Amino acid sequence: MTGDPSDGDGRPMPDRRGISRRGFLTTMGTGVLSTAAAGQLTAQPTEVPDVLGANELIKVALDINGRTHEALVEPRWSLAHVLREELELTGTKVGCDRGECGACTVLLDGLPRYACLTLAVEAEDREIVTIEGLLAGEELGPVQQAFLEEDAYQCGYCTSGQIIAAEGLLRHDGNPTDEAIRHSMSGNLCRCGAYPHIVTAVRRAAELKRAGGAS
Amino acid sequence: MNDHPDARYYTEGIELPETEVSTDLEPWGETRVVGQPRPRVDGYERVSGTAVYPADITLPGMLYGAILRCPHPHAVVTAVDVRRAAAMPGVRAVLTAFTPLDRATQPHADLIRTRLFDTHCRFQGEAVAAVAAETPYQARDALRTIQVQYEERPFLSDERNALAPDAPLVREGGNRVREPQIYERGDVEQGFADADVVLEQEYRNECEIHTPMELHGCVARWDGDRLVLWESTQGVYNVQMQVAAALGMPFSMVRVVGPYMGGGFGSKLQTGKYSIAAALLAKTTARPVKLVLTREETLLAVGNRPPSTMRLKAGVKRDGTITAMEFWGSGASGAEPAGGASLLDWPVRDTYSCANVRTELTDLYLNAGPARPFRAPGHPQGAWALEQMMDALAEAIDMDPVALRVRNVPAVSQARGNVPYTSTGLRQCLEQGAEAFGWDEARTQIAESGNGGTVRRGIGVAAGLWVAGGGGPPSTAVVKLFADGSVNLNMGASDIGTGTKTVMAMVVAEELGVDPDAVEIEHADTGSTQFATGSGGSKTVPTESPAVRAAAVDVKRQLLELAAGELEVDQSTLALRDGQVVSTADPSVARPLSGLRSLRRRRNLTGVGYRGPNPAGKAVTPFAAQFCEVEVDTATGEVTILRFLAAHDSGRVMNRLTYQNQVFGGITMGIGFGLTEERILDVDRTGKMVNLNWHDYKLPTMLDVPVDMTCLPIDLNDTECNATGAKGIGEPATIPTAAAIGNAIYHATGVRVTHTPVDPLRLVDALAQAGEG
Amino acid sequence: MLPRFSYVRAQSLDEAIAQLGPDDTRVAAGGSDLLGCLRDEVFACSKVVSLSRLDELRGVRVDSRGGVRIGALTTIATVASDPVVNERYPVLAQAARAVASPQLRHQGTIGGNICQKPRCWYYRGEFHCRRKGGSTCYAIAGENQFHCILGGRGCFIVHPSDTAPALVALDATVQIAGRSGTRRIPLAEFHVSPRDDIRRETVLEASEVVTAIDIPAPPRGLRSSYRKVRTRGAWDFALAGVALALEFDGGTVRAGRVVLSGVAPVPWRAEAVERVLIGQALTPEVAARAGEAAVEGARPLKRNGYKVPLVRGVVREALLALA
Repeated sequence: MTGDPSDGDGRPMPDRRGISRRGFLTTMGTGVLSTAAAGQLTAQPTEVPDVLGANELIKVALDINGRTHEALVEPRWSLAHVLREELELTGTKVGCDRGECGACTVLLDGLPRYACLTLAVEAEDREIVTIEGLLAGEELGPVQQAFLEEDAYQCGYCTSGQIIAAEGLLRHDGNPTDEAIRHSMSGNLCRCGAYPHIVTAVRRAAELKRAGGAS
Repeated sequence: MNDHPDARYYTEGIELPETEVSTDLEPWGETRVVGQPRPRVDGYERVSGTAVYPADITLPGMLYGAILRCPHPHAVVTAVDVRRAAAMPGVRAVLTAFTPLDRATQPHADLIRTRLFDTHCRFQGEAVAAVAAETPYQARDALRTIQVQYEERPFLSDERNALAPDAPLVREGGNRVREPQIYERGDVEQGFADADVVLEQEYRNECEIHTPMELHGCVARWDGDRLVLWESTQGVYNVQMQVAAALGMPFSMVRVVGPYMGGGFGSKLQTGKYSIAAALLAKTTARPVKLVLTREETLLAVGNRPPSTMRLKAGVKRDGTITAMEFWGSGASGAEPAGGASLLDWPVRDTYSCANVRTELTDLYLNAGPARPFRAPGHPQGAWALEQMMDALAEAIDMDPVALRVRNVPAVSQARGNVPYTSTGLRQCLEQGAEAFGWDEARTQIAESGNGGTVRRGIGVAAGLWVAGGGGPPSTAVVKLFADGSVNLNMGASDIGTGTKTVMAMVVAEELGVDPDAVEIEHADTGSTQFATGSGGSKTVPTESPAVRAAAVDVKRQLLELAAGELEVDQSTLALRDGQVVSTADPSVARPLSGLRSLRRRRNLTGVGYRGPNPAGKAVTPFAAQFCEVEVDTATGEVTILRFLAAHDSGRVMNRLTYQNQVFGGITMGIGFGLTEERILDVDRTGKMVNLNWHDYKLPTMLDVPVDMTCLPIDLNDTECNATGAKGIGEPATIPTAAAIGNAIYHATGVRVTHTPVDPLRLVDALAQAGEG
Repeated sequence: MLPRFSYVRAQSLDEAIAQLGPDDTRVAAGGSDLLGCLRDEVFACSKVVSLSRLDELRGVRVDSRGGVRIGALTTIATVASDPVVNERYPVLAQAARAVASPQLRHQGTIGGNICQKPRCWYYRGEFHCRRKGGSTCYAIAGENQFHCILGGRGCFIVHPSDTAPALVALDATVQIAGRSGTRRIPLAEFHVSPRDDIRRETVLEASEVVTAIDIPAPPRGLRSSYRKVRTRGAWDFALAGVALALEFDGGTVRAGRVVLSGVAPVPWRAEAVERVLIGQALTPEVAARAGEAAVEGARPLKRNGYKVPLVRGVVREALLALA
């Protein structure tokens, strides 16, 4: 159902050779560099400070789930947009695009943050973990496993963000109290109202983590 | 109102086909799979981030659509200049009311009562133009440059003023959507005359907005003349028929696909203009178009639970007999006819025994986004009035609030002409709920504590029933059993997050003796799955599960017939267990399904099941009672909910785990309705919505909901309602919640706030006026 | 979906300051408030100057005189969990914990928190109000339930910060860097009332950046707390709140500050309350009188009259909790 990012129809993969750290391109077409435009690339002399133009596409290298992903982005693009629409890491959801719901929660350097309220250019040099990064191969991670077992979701749309928020908590507190769980999970709305099961699931996840991972 | 209120909510505007009826199925006795707590069959997809929701789809060459919306509550568009927008980088199409594109300017399907881009905008958020561009950012940039000339008109932004002589007209015919709807039984005047106590009170609920987590939206792609829509919807067939009607296409040429969707609560039962716009943008550009609304748009334009004002007068005798009830309810449809007062009176009409009842409903226009069905339309509001009145009556005659309710549990559905219910667990909900909650003990303890400090405790109860929740035809399901013993289920229904797929897999597993995880489900795709009505109204399980069961039983019959021949035993002695055919007479006879030669020769067996009619002359109704304990800080008006217990009669519990999740979710939503949520229009000045984001429109967070929640199913083994014995649970779970909290606040403080949301703004004010705090 | 802007991630404070100046250049510290404003198009912005590389502006350090210096880029979460802050300045730790949501506390900075733009929905919405250069305050005759009851004139915003009242109560000082060097001003003089200038919230000039906040050593007998009332348990601004930093001699209040949140366009020093308290023990009677003093001069608008009993109640309750 999803398109292959490398397929030729409108969104070809760029030839990245010769692109400077500060790629320069006006936004004629899609965010991902097109082959036609690649020829226009020129290395810019280093200026200090280096202002990235509002109409430029800048190459960023994002460390996501332990792998480096490169993308051409406008300064204004959110990390959530780049994850979902450019890199097709659609496990991260967008519920408001205003930092008001938590569906887009990712870990930045181990801390839960809203990807919709984080510029992609600001996420460079940070370690990003998304819901996809909690899988070990195809196996669910302990927090994912706990959410599944405890039915800690309904429609599932806030779930990626909830799981990441829980992961962020458990990386810093392996045995949280219910109060700590409730406070740490209070930046993630669940309109279906699975909150009580989410508390149970985070407790269960802590157990699974202490036991050394998912069954 | 439609004569069959059960049918109204889901099927408005849709002609229902007659289907065949599967032969009667025996009620289940003891079940092995059904009723167990079971994680979801699609749990892996939902927790791993691999479930593909419509907004997750990226197609080659896909563009992004966006809609320009009218910023005024009432205005006429006189000109739209799109020249700058059309010339902007990445912009591929711009559509407006003035675009020479025939189909975009025609009136649309029944449910979209205006033109796609109607020049007469009767609410803030009405669609004015649409663009498609290479990136969503470019699409937004283009919207910012479109110049629209609006001629602003006088607007109405409080429906309570709709009938004033000088009220601005929302629509030309006047501000009444329809003539008042009156219901009457018995003689209310006589009833009031017979009462020892008569109380009268006004109640008000502010407008609540669905705001499911997943934004409304779709991806549209044309394959030649055929349109494919990946849509976040509760009912793919609803969308198919509405989009086809809007675009003048045969149903068969519109394929709507929606296997995962991120919540709807009624707001995604019908299609929106955005899907029509996406289809036209895709057609114009010959490219796929993804069009996902912004959160602000979802707060303005895709439905709400309308604000309501209610007055209830009730009479009671000292012995607890309710002698009469008279109810006036009015609500705001918004700018289009949308059931603004719909079902507000149903709780008064049907919850308690009362011979003399009169209700009157007034549906009004308002220059604001149209209402849509929202989790138990009318019921949480009606219960807010009725259940607080019941408490006041109980106090007036010095009777326990639970006892007064139990005293008035009805034997029949009075609002339906005294037809019996297939099962009624209202009494058990109240009695067993009170017992499990420790109602008497808590009341005694609070009374003995004096409860006089700044922070006070209180407990409250409220009951409820849901007008629908019995489901009904049509539904078709197909079950395919393959030669290796694996199974496909094909059904049209959406799983809106309630766990429908899991329940259906369990039903198939129950009949075929296979593991539920071995049942692969195709669903919610008009191109490849069977017809279903939209998933809503707590009717999905009672509608679909009997059809699915019938299909599985059809396969089972065929399979046992083959097996009996092959194993040369009497068919009646055969059963299906653990993926094997076994003999109940001879334990040595056991053959894995994959070992049946006769099945291998057939490659597969296909069973078809249809939803039969509901029992004639009976009403199928879920019942509920909820209990809560709160703490109120009388200095600040802060309410902390300490615990909740919900006792529900929703027939057979199909999956104990997802059932409980529904109940807790309903309570959570009820907490939002009762304590935090409110659409705020700038009524005195601009008529615009001022809190159109999730910061200012406040959903409950984790910290607003108690961890201490208890779900107490009351399962009375209803063998009449349908072939699986299930009634709906999703909506009943949210009906009594707010009223239970209101009663608990009153119990704690002696102050009754009759206007939701009961936030610190209202409560600290009320407490101060009462000399508390 | 944000409008376009150019972007520079400064490598040093000097670079950042060099980039600032024109009104439509904006500083991003954590960015949570700025991006929200840009999304709502509250003001024009052609260039964003990001401070996120300036690690020297992060951290809580004890200074030589026993106070602490908090770097402006220290996140709210760090302030909330810092052991020194928790031990010496509970009012600040409690205020930091009451901010927004966990994710926003990881993003938002203490410097950004005291420089927040108002949350008035007319200001944030598509209304050309006086603070944005228009001629109308829509709140005066509009939906003003979340607006101020004290200190408004021409504009009736409330200051949205929880940490600023706590810092004012602690007599903190703001360090500001600009083209001509650095300056220090008391936090109590940092915010600008609409009575003085309706178009600005702080004294910061366009080319200036908050670099640090200094809190003096806790005076003898300091007890402090922050209490916030809001509609829901997280992610909500104060309907009313109170920061208390009182110095006790035994059971008697010797000196201190009482600062209200959620009721005025700036963190509101309630000197009338302080006058009631000084020399008194925090008895229920004194607390009640203090509550009354807190709303002296309050002028509620049409829909925010509830704030009068609310402030009265929250001040009384917070004082008794500190007794």
